[in-house]
Amino acid sequence: MAALRSSASVLLGAAASRPALRAAAAAPAAVRGMAQLADGAQHSTTASGEQPKLKTFQVYRWNPDTPTEKPRMQSYTLDLNKTGPMVLDALIRIKNELDPTLTFRRSCREGICGSCAMNINGTNTLACLCRIPTESSADIKIYPLPHTYVVKDLVPDLTHFYKQYKSIKPYLQRDTPSPDGKEYRQSKADRKKLDGLYECILCACCSTSCPSYWWNSEEYLGPAILLQSYRWLADSRDEKTAERRDALNNSMSLYRCHTILNCTRTCPKGLNPGLAIAQIKKEMAF
Amino acid sequence: MIAQRAGTTALRRVAGKPNSFFTANVAKLGLAQPLSTTQTRPVATQKITAADAQALLAKQRLNRPVSPHLAIYDKQQTWFGGSAWQRITGSALSGGLYVFATAYLVAPLAGWHLESASLAAAFGALPLAAKGALKFLAAWPFAYHAVNGVRHLAFDLGYGFKRQTIVKTGWYIWGVSVVGGLYLAFFL
Amino acid sequence: MMASIARSSLLRQVALVPKLPIATRLASQQSAIVNAARVATFHTTARRDLLPPLPQRVEGTVNDAAPVPETSPSHGSYHWTFDRLVAASLIPLTVAPFAAGSLNPTLDALLCATILIHSHTGFQNIIIDYVPKYRTPRARKLFVWGLNAATVVVGLALYEFETTDVGVTETIKRIWTA
Repeated sequence: MAALRSSASVLLGAAASRPALRAAAAAPAAVRGMAQLADGAQHSTTASGEQPKLKTFQVYRWNPDTPTEKPRMQSYTLDLNKTGPMVLDALIRIKNELDPTLTFRRSCREGICGSCAMNINGTNTLACLCRIPTESSADIKIYPLPHTYVVKDLVPDLTHFYKQYKSIKPYLQRDTPSPDGKEYRQSKADRKKLDGLYECILCACCSTSCPSYWWNSEEYLGPAILLQSYRWLADSRDEKTAERRDALNNSMSLYRCHTILNCTRTCPKGLNPGLAIAQIKKEMAF
Repeated sequence: MIAQRAGTTALRRVAGKPNSFFTANVAKLGLAQPLSTTQTRPVATQKITAADAQALLAKQRLNRPVSPHLAIYDKQQTWFGGSAWQRITGSALSGGLYVFATAYLVAPLAGWHLESASLAAAFGALPLAAKGALKFLAAWPFAYHAVNGVRHLAFDLGYGFKRQTIVKTGWYIWGVSVVGGLYLAFFL
Repeated sequence: MMASIARSSLLRQVALVPKLPIATRLASQQSAIVNAARVATFHTTARRDLLPPLPQRVEGTVNDAAPVPETSPSHGSYHWTFDRLVAASLIPLTVAPFAAGSLNPTLDALLCATILIHSHTGFQNIIIDYVPKYRTPRARKLFVWGLNAATVVVGLALYEFETTDVGVTETIKRIWTA
């Protein structure tokens, strides 16, 4: 579609000097232009006919191309009548129609990829799962995940987060082969222990809501990684439980958790990282 | 849209085919050149080695700002957080103890009188309002730390992790500690 | 691809500008003013940091795991469990003087000792949290040994107080009712 559009404009430009072609080649482009105009006119009539529901979004901006400029907040006003219900819809509309330079991550738009994790009105959540609050006319403030290094605008650098994830060996570790030679079986009760753990999508909302992780992200693993760690500790099929515990048994990796519980309060998937960490501590205590 | 695409593909096919009638006319119309479907890009790219790319990334990383945290995070969770105030009240109480104990140890050398009898006498000589205020200043942190400490021990045993419970007990702690502090200060 | 998308939407945006309702335009002007104020507050808060975050450095590539610290239960699980036991034992020790009116000297000394240990580990946690070893190793050492010294001094003082004076709970009671 984009390729076509640009070739059409090239076509147009070249055709200007060739009167013979103008009518033939310019026609589709002109039709397109008309359609756009009509579209625009329609917008303005609906806006005046229906009461426009204006909402201002203040978005954190920082551009790596001008690194000396300080981060700033930029406001965009949208009519909610023409915007989808979620904050991600608004962001996409801002990017499409108001400011194509606005940068953010998004992919699935249904809360399963974890790309659009950001801080909306003070709490970390997924933009695609966060409704635009319509009951109040207050501005919506959107920041990148707190205390992360900003790549651009709303895009945080999660490299260290992923490196920490890798450090807990997030895969089944086993030496003994399965009895039937086919698969590692598990009782229903054992499988049930993984509910509330395996659903984590590693969006980093919880980790970046944790003040302990803000101050000590270098060494403290943070709620998300610890929840994942517990997912493998609790797995009846895993045989390296002792090694996994030893890896956490130092002053920094696990025990910087002071049950602040911002993690549980912020998780957009409704999981409970705080409880998972408490379980690890409890199992390691006695 | 689709009609358009079909149109261009048709034209392209025509341009590529050695059809004597069409190609002749197309060439005459000057269509061959503008039919190119390659895009013009305002940005040029160049190939660099992996090491150079890494170095470039490392340089860019040094410029990155840290996104705001305490200043923008939900005030209820950062400024009224049970855990934070547990630490603040604990530090205040323990800090007070450390300061008093150290002062008590050097008191004979400095000539201060910090024995219980003289302390009680000095405190008793204060006006009633000052007495109440000072008592509350000591009693509230104690009440908060004690009640919230029990909550934290419950957390450590794995209780009270439901989201609603966390929010509710967080507020209860404030209420209970203020009431408890007032009781300790004025009714004991 | 990207470039052409950006271009066309920019054009669309330009085309739409005169048609925007006046309210929107006013709002955007107002927000520019509000913005300036916001930016200002934003920056003053950033400058308050005591130990501002360092520029980002990443060891190794994305595919290298973060280093795993050595196992040391005395700083890990044993420490944590000991902490909780001390904290839990403080509950009956604090309730007792309220219930019984006062404490006998042995229990009073026990309460003092438990509070001292509880305070010490609490301060330790604060130091570990806010004086990171990898960043300020010397300040960390200074704080840790400073705390150790302070705790010894306070221990001595409490011993002195317990043996020569009337005891902590009794003192508090006398001051409280003075």
